[in-house]
Amino acid sequence: MFEAATPLERKRYYREEWDVRKLPDFIARNIHMREFGFDHTGRGPSDRYRVFDDEKRLSRFMRARFPFAAYSSVAFYREPGKRRGWQRSELIFDVDAKDLPVRSCDCEGVCERCLDEARELVLMMVDTLRGDLGLGDVHVVYSGRGYHIRVLDPGVMELGSEVRAEILRYTAGARQPRRKFTHSGESYEMEHFSIPLGYHRVFIERARHVFLHMRGDERIENVTARTVRDVVRNRELLLEDRWGEFKRRIGPRVYQRLVAGVAGINMKMVDAKVTIDLKRILRLPTSLHSKVSMICMEVKNPETFDPLKSAVPKFVHERE
Amino acid sequence: MVSSLFINPFSEDAREIVRNYGSPDTIFEASSALLETVKRTRGQNLDDNSLLPGSIGELAIKRLEWYLRRQRRGFDHGDYAYLMNPDIEEYDVIAFYVLAQAAGAGFRGGSREVRLVVESTGALVEDRFRVLGSERDEIIEEVLIELGSEGTRWMELSELIGSGKLRLTDLILHRGRVVIDEDEFLVTFQDRITDRDPRSLYEALVGLELKETMISRIIMQRTEDYIARVAEMSSTVEPHPLILETAERIGETVNEVTPFRGGQVKTAGPGKLVPDAFPPCIRGTLDGVKSGNRNDAIVLLLTSFISYARLYPSVFRDRTPLKVSDLDPDLRVIREEILPIIYEAAERCEPPLFEDDPQEKLNITAKLGFGVHDEPEPEHEGESKWYTPMSCEKIKIHLPDLCRPDELCRRITNPLTYYNRKRWELHKGKSEQEGED
Repeated sequence: MFEAATPLERKRYYREEWDVRKLPDFIARNIHMREFGFDHTGRGPSDRYRVFDDEKRLSRFMRARFPFAAYSSVAFYREPGKRRGWQRSELIFDVDAKDLPVRSCDCEGVCERCLDEARELVLMMVDTLRGDLGLGDVHVVYSGRGYHIRVLDPGVMELGSEVRAEILRYTAGARQPRRKFTHSGESYEMEHFSIPLGYHRVFIERARHVFLHMRGDERIENVTARTVRDVVRNRELLLEDRWGEFKRRIGPRVYQRLVAGVAGINMKMVDAKVTIDLKRILRLPTSLHSKVSMICMEVKNPETFDPLKSAVPKFVHERE
Repeated sequence: MVSSLFINPFSEDAREIVRNYGSPDTIFEASSALLETVKRTRGQNLDDNSLLPGSIGELAIKRLEWYLRRQRRGFDHGDYAYLMNPDIEEYDVIAFYVLAQAAGAGFRGGSREVRLVVESTGALVEDRFRVLGSERDEIIEEVLIELGSEGTRWMELSELIGSGKLRLTDLILHRGRVVIDEDEFLVTFQDRITDRDPRSLYEALVGLELKETMISRIIMQRTEDYIARVAEMSSTVEPHPLILETAERIGETVNEVTPFRGGQVKTAGPGKLVPDAFPPCIRGTLDGVKSGNRNDAIVLLLTSFISYARLYPSVFRDRTPLKVSDLDPDLRVIREEILPIIYEAAERCEPPLFEDDPQEKLNITAKLGFGVHDEPEPEHEGESKWYTPMSCEKIKIHLPDLCRPDELCRRITNPLTYYNRKRWELHKGKSEQEGED
């Protein structure tokens, strides 16, 4: 499992198993407006600016060239072959299991455990996108080594990078939540965990996810290794929502630094560059991730999705 | 009785007042009624006539002057007390439009003058909320309705969010709506709030503070949009001479109160950069960056940082957009000092940047303001923008691996600010040491 595919295996996949009809509808319906890119050698997508007027032409190309990797743009263009006439772009969140700054496993690339932790994070983010931000047309794609969240809600497709970055901060819990408030001329402080709604709630969930999956050897900005160990020692409290007790054990002053550090980690749980890039190309669902021999595919039910059952191509089972 | 006019110049009532006022022919004519209202304001200094606006045009300029002076030493609130007097609201609405039209007709978008007019509008709104007293709640609710922000979806505020005027994380969101109404808050969240009074939580999270912030930010955005529309129209319709005169007065006032301290760099010459004052992200970039971050680090971060650190380190303090040639007329510093530093850092990347992406040289030239060309040439200047260094917030997104903050980083928001602060600290330390010797 997770071994690279040989050229022969790629050929078999695209000729025997891959079917253009499995392309998600959100790609197929606008195929002629997207730029396609291909990596034929394993050294990056150097074959860019490709355009396919319909699925049949894409199918012919894939079967003939069986690329190492296939990508399509998140942007829709009037002239996709020249990347001109930008019209709109999907809003993307890229959660790559191998790049998670906090994960409970110590594998080199990806493993079942970190893939599942990436999935947990994606589930929470989808919940925030739908519940708080009210976005629809949200799709989850298993990328081979993690997940892509692809949002095609018309309300966000034309937004610029700055707003996308702000959506990312909200959804990932990447900003230290506000503590100081004023009411009737008096100012006072409230901790994030005492506010069970809005962004504070998002931050509570993301922080809990980080704390519960730490190994104890992570580096957190402005936080000592001892504090990280204290977090691991006391994190069971968070399973019962006993944040106040948790804070007391960490130390009230250190806790503020910890919260700031977690906001920084949350930002790194998602590849922010992908979110703010309006002209990114992204791995094509149904295509093969040849580095790990997994199928990039749309996930219909992220709650129950298991990539090791659903995203493994036949040739992997037939390997000796 | 205060009306919403005192806060919101974009209400239907405000527009009606402006329509009835008609042509700007009389904006500089003395208005005894306005002067009387100003004089009757409690706490107003009356010992100097130049403090008192006698016409709509003067009131327009005073709005801006108040903003420019209020942060300065020796500011006396009594000099501008009338601006907080609700009785001037009708004159003030017309003065607002005169000021905004003058900014649009006389200055380009993004200029210091336009920015200051927009900021002064927001600051006036914020300060006026503080003098509203018992009518505050009612006026806030009225203005929110006028601005159409009740039942707003966050996407409708995306312009404010994108420009940084409003933070998404400060809003209370539910299914895409910005919850600002108390009843909606209680109905939506009551079940989740178990250990405190939902009403007091509403007051803390939404309450007046958030509403006031939203109002002032929306009014700032609308002012900016209005100025942009005026600027667009000015290219086809000749602006009224008195509006242009007001624009001149804006320029004079800005220059008088906040004179530009930059000017020609007379000492431009090698050896002026202080590498010891570079922030960690710049030091990391100069050491060479691995594939993946190379392009952004060299083209976006280093190019702008080094060029501004060398030629115009006070750009964020002076806030006056300049061209490279304003500071380095023969481009000698750019060619002999700045580009070599950038190219050498590009060479140290892994693999060297220009081996893979030779076209990035063109992008570096473009980021210095000389369009997409191999080298900066005077005749190409202005074809693109001279980019200021990206903020720490953006570095965290674009180049998270290069962001290794030290103690000083925590207190600043831009690598150039770090550079200036550190340079000052180093200079101070050196002077003290020399003193000890």
